[in-house]
Amino acid sequence: MKYEAVIGLEIHVQLNAATKLFCDCPNRPGDEPNRNICPVCLWLPGVFPQLSREALEKGVLACLALNCVIQPESAFDQKVYYYPDLPKGYQLSQHHKPLARNGWVDIVAADGQVKRLRIHHVHLEEDVAKLLHETEGRTPISLVDFNRAGTPLIEIVSEPDMRDPHDAMEYIKALRDQLRYTGSAECSLEQGTLRVDANVSLRPLGSKALNTKVEIKNMNAIRNVGDAIAYEITRQTECLEKGEPIVMHTRLWDPEKKVTTPMRAKFEGPCVPDPSVARIVIDDAWLEAVRQRLPEMPAHKAARFMDAYALTAEEAAAVSAERDLSEFFEAVVAHALPPRKVAGWIAGQLFSALKERNRSVGETRLTAARFAELLNLVEREVINTQAAREVLIRLLDSDAPLEEIVEKGGFRQISDTTDLEALVQRVLADHPADVQDFRNGNPKVLGFLMGQAMKTSQGKANPKLLKEMLAKRLG
Amino acid sequence: MPDLFTYRNSLPEQPGADGPLSGMRVAVQPNLSVNGWPCNAGSHALAGYTALADATTVARLTRSGAVLIGSSHMAELGFGLADDTIIQIIADGRAELALITDTMGEARVAASGAGLFGFKPSYGLISRCGLMGLVPSMECIGLVAADPARIGRALAVMAGSDPDDPSMPDDCAAGFSADLPPITAQPTAGIVAEWLEGLNAAERSAFESSLARLDAMGIATRQVNLAPSGLFRDAHQVIAAVEASSSAGKYDGVRYGHRSASGKNWNEMYLNTRAESFGPLIKPFLFQGAYFQFENYSAFENACRIRGRLMRAVTDLLAQVDMLVLPTRRPAHDPGRATTIEETYDAFGLALPANLTGHPVLQVPDPTLAAGTDLGLQLIGRRLDDARLLSIGRQMSSIAGEGC
Repeated sequence: MKYEAVIGLEIHVQLNAATKLFCDCPNRPGDEPNRNICPVCLWLPGVFPQLSREALEKGVLACLALNCVIQPESAFDQKVYYYPDLPKGYQLSQHHKPLARNGWVDIVAADGQVKRLRIHHVHLEEDVAKLLHETEGRTPISLVDFNRAGTPLIEIVSEPDMRDPHDAMEYIKALRDQLRYTGSAECSLEQGTLRVDANVSLRPLGSKALNTKVEIKNMNAIRNVGDAIAYEITRQTECLEKGEPIVMHTRLWDPEKKVTTPMRAKFEGPCVPDPSVARIVIDDAWLEAVRQRLPEMPAHKAARFMDAYALTAEEAAAVSAERDLSEFFEAVVAHALPPRKVAGWIAGQLFSALKERNRSVGETRLTAARFAELLNLVEREVINTQAAREVLIRLLDSDAPLEEIVEKGGFRQISDTTDLEALVQRVLADHPADVQDFRNGNPKVLGFLMGQAMKTSQGKANPKLLKEMLAKRLG
Repeated sequence: MPDLFTYRNSLPEQPGADGPLSGMRVAVQPNLSVNGWPCNAGSHALAGYTALADATTVARLTRSGAVLIGSSHMAELGFGLADDTIIQIIADGRAELALITDTMGEARVAASGAGLFGFKPSYGLISRCGLMGLVPSMECIGLVAADPARIGRALAVMAGSDPDDPSMPDDCAAGFSADLPPITAQPTAGIVAEWLEGLNAAERSAFESSLARLDAMGIATRQVNLAPSGLFRDAHQVIAAVEASSSAGKYDGVRYGHRSASGKNWNEMYLNTRAESFGPLIKPFLFQGAYFQFENYSAFENACRIRGRLMRAVTDLLAQVDMLVLPTRRPAHDPGRATTIEETYDAFGLALPANLTGHPVLQVPDPTLAAGTDLGLQLIGRRLDDARLLSIGRQMSSIAGEGC
């Protein structure tokens, strides 16, 4: 029998508000343990949680970016479970009345078609404390770090609309890109500011049934989510073919062995409305004010870039995936440079240079004007592409005049025909056998000789002129 | 005689600050935070816990001149009145005001047994910040004193919006004025027939004779109808048990209070700690709550729906009459001796409807009777009509004082 996978994702995203969700403690879970704590996030008796306005605003902005309908009224519940990372016995979460419902994101499915994936709801909740297990030493001990307790989270619960690992990975990417655009969240799986739980079930192809699902956790890269889902689909298919029933449980992804293994589930209980936390009532004027702050979303921006700048779909997607780079792109294009060339430079050179250094463009010295100036030098053939790449790296950390960088670094292109002529002569003299080979009818040798000439010029020769002259000489 | 106090202020004679309550001596239960005082809420689970700050109400009282003299013994986590000594402190004249957490009628029932006034304000009128509570949607700091005007003066200081308690409803922000209004138009009172169904003949006749005092004030009474009192009790019990089960999770006993020395791993240590910490009355109550949470959640949801209907029904009745009157307690059911949940609920059966609905309610003693034989009379008023109830109470006490 052919089976179809039904996949739904529950994604926790840490909001980057300055404080925790219900108190004024700094929202910096990574600090020295138990540094950012107070009676509220330690849940000491007699204190009341006070909702952070900033966290609410960032949460609403995130929901709007995911096309959700913000609910006029939402409220917190006590989600009861007993575990030492939650010593008060319940987590404040929104179960009965979530912040937002009915959202969606669009992705390009494996078949190349645009597919709309629905979001069931988004709710606010507080993170729990972090447990540290010291297993070395004679007596193993477990420690509790409350820095993370009370960190503001949103949980984004999808509809079970995904059918394969590709859908799931694209959904996470789209969601991540859109949330990053709003500036509400960093959304890094690697850093744990975005955490994915995947629910996977199978059904006979063509069936509409929703069968028993298995939850998978512990994927800390988008690729791992795809691998874990693919593994789980295979595992469940084998179970069904052997006639074994699927039992609802939770499994952990092991990134080393690339398998999922069953884990003991946390004891999780019901959700009781908490009358001690104020209800959230959102009025239209306030919502409108937040909506005004919502930037143009990446998909919309990509479509506009294709229209306005005649970029290809790939180019447009590449320069619009991150908000700061997309804004950088438009600022550079405003200096009357050919948009496709700018897009190529940003998506190719700049993007990887930043990624290698783990910095955003805003964290470098590079400005749109300086970048435009650099591309102008390439356009005017003052420097060649290879040199420009090197200059670009220097511009990341330097405010020196561009002319000075070019001159001091010796990046200026050799376009003087006398110089080039001498270079050609020398290369031909150094490689007589190859010259003979070319003349005997092997055109590939021209590439080799070009490479040798560029190397001799230390990359500075004007490649267009050089090639013309070389070809003429070989005649 | 055992000590009535669990903690005594070492400087009780020190005159308080200048203010409207200057010199008023106040006793509290150890579930209300007073900076530096032990606050164990009567529970082993909080043994040795010391409050880190003043409750908002405590800070407001002391700023207005009141002097906190100490805290009493109390029933574990304020569930009932078993072993509670606060009423004795005030009955002995050691304090002029007692603050008693009122979750099912504790302040009123305790007051009626001692011939005192007991008041539970409208839900949300007083900040709960600093109260180590158990049933957040029903509990309220209750005020007990010999004189309703004194309750009014203290309430005026305590009430009103508090940035540290964001759960307070908007309509309570303005607080409460100390000037009790004169009673102008003659108020009317409704007697809910269904609430009296369980009373025996002696209790009925005692209640009827106490209505004579309303007559003497020109307050007309008439019979009205409402759901049976058992429905109030059942809804209260289901919701209170669920909220208690959830809230009591905070009092884990591990980070403070009693911590078990046994257990193979920390999960067992937590379980043993809770098992050893909670007493024989509260533990089954928490179990009941856990049962509804985990095994029968729809019963909890039904109880919440029923509660909503009962709140509306009482509010609608209070549009026809100015207040509802009923006895406060049945003397045969002594809350001090209640050892089971059922006995505890029996002792508070007449008092708990106002906790379920959140309406303000005043217990008025009958000074012509010896304390202990008086059933007490409860006046349930409209939401935020707290001042009028206290005015009526004051007038009733003056009439009684004239030897009616």
